[in-house]
Amino acid sequence: MQATIPQPQRLGLPPEEQLVEYQIWDSYFTASLADTRGMVREIEQTMPTLEKGAIQKSCVFFHVGLGTANPEVDAAVRDDPSLILAPLKRWPERILGLIQLNANDVPGSLEAINRWIADGPMVGVYFPGGSQGTTNCSHRNFDPLVSRVADLKGLIVQHTWFDTTEKGGPTQSTPSDLAVLAKRFPNIPFVCAHAGGEWEKGIRAIRATTNVYVETSGFDPTAGFVDMAVRELTAKRVIFGSHLPSRSLGTELGKILGANITSSDRHLILGENLRALLTPILRKKALKST
Amino acid sequence: MADLSRRELLGGVLAGSVAHSTVLASDRAETTSEAQVQPLLIIDTNLHLFQWPFRRLPYDTVQALVEKLQAMGIEKAWGGSFEGLLHRDIAGVNQRLAQACVEFGKNRLIPFGTVNPALPDWEDDIRRCHEEHHMPGIRLYPNYHDFTLADPRFQRLLSIAHERGLLVQICVSMEDQRTQHPKLHVPDVDLSPLPLTMQDSKHTQVILLNYKPTNAGLNRLIKVPGIYFDTGRVEGTSGISKLVRAVPEGRVVFGTHAPFFIYESALIKVEESALTEREKLALMAENAQRLLQPST
Repeated sequence: MQATIPQPQRLGLPPEEQLVEYQIWDSYFTASLADTRGMVREIEQTMPTLEKGAIQKSCVFFHVGLGTANPEVDAAVRDDPSLILAPLKRWPERILGLIQLNANDVPGSLEAINRWIADGPMVGVYFPGGSQGTTNCSHRNFDPLVSRVADLKGLIVQHTWFDTTEKGGPTQSTPSDLAVLAKRFPNIPFVCAHAGGEWEKGIRAIRATTNVYVETSGFDPTAGFVDMAVRELTAKRVIFGSHLPSRSLGTELGKILGANITSSDRHLILGENLRALLTPILRKKALKST
Repeated sequence: MADLSRRELLGGVLAGSVAHSTVLASDRAETTSEAQVQPLLIIDTNLHLFQWPFRRLPYDTVQALVEKLQAMGIEKAWGGSFEGLLHRDIAGVNQRLAQACVEFGKNRLIPFGTVNPALPDWEDDIRRCHEEHHMPGIRLYPNYHDFTLADPRFQRLLSIAHERGLLVQICVSMEDQRTQHPKLHVPDVDLSPLPLTMQDSKHTQVILLNYKPTNAGLNRLIKVPGIYFDTGRVEGTSGISKLVRAVPEGRVVFGTHAPFFIYESALIKVEESALTEREKLALMAENAQRLLQPST
């Protein structure tokens, strides 16, 4: 009988079979804004990390020419939509597509929702932060967009940040702004990306608005975040995001693996909650939800 | 060579297994080969004891922290004191740190005392760290203590540290500025004066903790032979391997910034960085061990 060769070291990670058992779905995958072909390249380069973390599916946010990217990328995707579809065709089992909307352009955003979600392969929308194509999400411009996405059972993810340096500016959305929006649509779920960065404040801001979920990525692996989120919101309102490839698997997966929470909480956060939110639209599109 | 090959093959499986055994106690799958393998030696050069001033952290009691170190397979940890950030009685801060390391450390905790050269008689804090507490190094927080790296007092501190054979750790950052308390904004330390300041202290060994490398900044810093880097705030899927390969051999050490940061995160960052086994051994312990050896 041959001697058993030990498995390669997996510092900080549980055995591979344990990670696989979590059925990890990732709600927040960042790809390069530099150029659209760069997105394919970055996803390809990140595949070994996704494999290592046993991440089964990732939500990728696609620019669709609404002014959310730099002008060259915007023009390129408008001229050649196959650029947008390329990653979805290449990795149909791994990637869930969300489109980036610009609430300053309501007609264009509604047209994009119809084209890419109602008639296309995408499963939701992302409202970005930063300076390009953004509006504070408490603005009424969001209402027709949210309603239409909800009609289609799509996922709604809003970038949020509480910047204590106050450099964010009026177009940046905070969790408090998202709570204002979410209260207008109490039956529609919203994902509060990054929990506002300053998560102690972010969790409080959305705590009473029970249709808002916090997403876990985008800031340093500060200890106690997931513990507080589970304590204050329950694990049913916490959703894992990898923020790959600009952040580390360690930073983001470590937040969940290192938290003092139960096994069932960890299952909810790492996959079950996102699957539950996406199941209606995946069923509608006859896509796998497991 | 045979020993090295064996270590390369087997090193660390136990440490990896131990590392998740406590964290995921409720989920853990049994492994069969744990008893047969040699643990990877891990030295954390960037730990803090006691309470972060702005929130309670998991593992912010010394007893809990030591148990966590043990569970994570950390052989040794170089610990500073969170109290050093804002307290002015630095002698008391260092005394409590030294006592805690002796009482609870079980030989895992190695104290690094705080020195604040903006305080009167700071030289005596260095003397006490060295002579009374037998610390191998000191830790500085320039932006919490309001001095720059061009300050003549800092230059003098480097000279004294060198004369005493003490390592100098500089905390470049403790927390992302964007999430800090609105009444206490502390920017990252400006490292640009450091190469010039160290011209007269070429043999002092300075470890930058929680430095986020940028191409331009790193290129200037690596030209100074006495500057070392930890991994505490290195980001990106291959961030650590990029740093290890950009810096002259032996000048990157493993650091977690725990318990402010999550221990598991620091370890997974190493795991995902696709280091060779040789690079991993050097990063996780050997480079730090070499720093603790008396210079000749």
